[in-house]
Amino acid sequence: MAVAEELNSVLGRLRAAVPELSAALVATTDGLPIAHSLNAGDANRLAAMAATALGLGRRICETYGGGEFRETSVSGSEGQMYIYSAGSKAVLGVVARLGANVGLIHLEARDAASQVSQILERR
Amino acid sequence: MNETAIKILVAGPSGAGKTTLIQTLSQSPVVNTDVPCSTASRSTTVAMDFGQLQLDQYAIHLFGAPGQERFDFTWEVLLDGSLGVLLLVSGKDATHFPQARRMYDYLLSRNPVPLVLGVTHQDHPNCWDCKEVASYLDLDPAAALPINATNLESATELLVRLFDCVERA
Repeated sequence: MAVAEELNSVLGRLRAAVPELSAALVATTDGLPIAHSLNAGDANRLAAMAATALGLGRRICETYGGGEFRETSVSGSEGQMYIYSAGSKAVLGVVARLGANVGLIHLEARDAASQVSQILERR
Repeated sequence: MNETAIKILVAGPSGAGKTTLIQTLSQSPVVNTDVPCSTASRSTTVAMDFGQLQLDQYAIHLFGAPGQERFDFTWEVLLDGSLGVLLLVSGKDATHFPQARRMYDYLLSRNPVPLVLGVTHQDHPNCWDCKEVASYLDLDPAAALPINATNLESATELLVRLFDCVERA
């Protein structure tokens, strides 16, 4: 199976497991989308922002001695975005509306991030 | 931030040498957010660079912006509160000039702060003259300098030129 297909099926399973998600995407660490499943919005923009958050998150972790960066979140009055490190080459971003089950999101998305990492590191 | 700390934004197209310039000038370890670039065999900044130096009585904080246009949302954030802008452009490749022009317009339309132009890659045999690059950007030739981003003296000269512009403004 091609990498893009594999990544799309990871995103598909993630969105099926957490129906409250309105977007899920995988981007390169330099901000280009590789796979995405969005209800609305611009994947290119979201990919660039996810990479910026990841890059900044990594340095913040380093600066306060937090070890290897895992995830960061951005919450607003209407919704939230979670950004996960997915190996050395990629970042996983998911968007959920307000009131979504955060525990479930983390459970499923961390698992998806590790699958993304495995798929990309294999190449 | 204390009263005497001055924030300067370092902007310019990808590959101009912004991260290098900050590494050259900074007297403290630079915080950078470089990752390998998918489309070229070098690294690229995705969030910001941060370096600090003391010049005479001034504590200067240098904020480097990512060069690629998909990160333009960071430019506005980093520009906020800046005293001035160091715009770096590689003189070896005229195809970068339009992007420098867009970046220049983007920044100064939001916050008309003093700006100086540094034309890098002067060692390249076909490097453009810095006056030609300045004229492309409609900039006063006095606000443009050929620089070597790896050389402390040359990089400091650009910073001093910005301070001259700030004083005149």
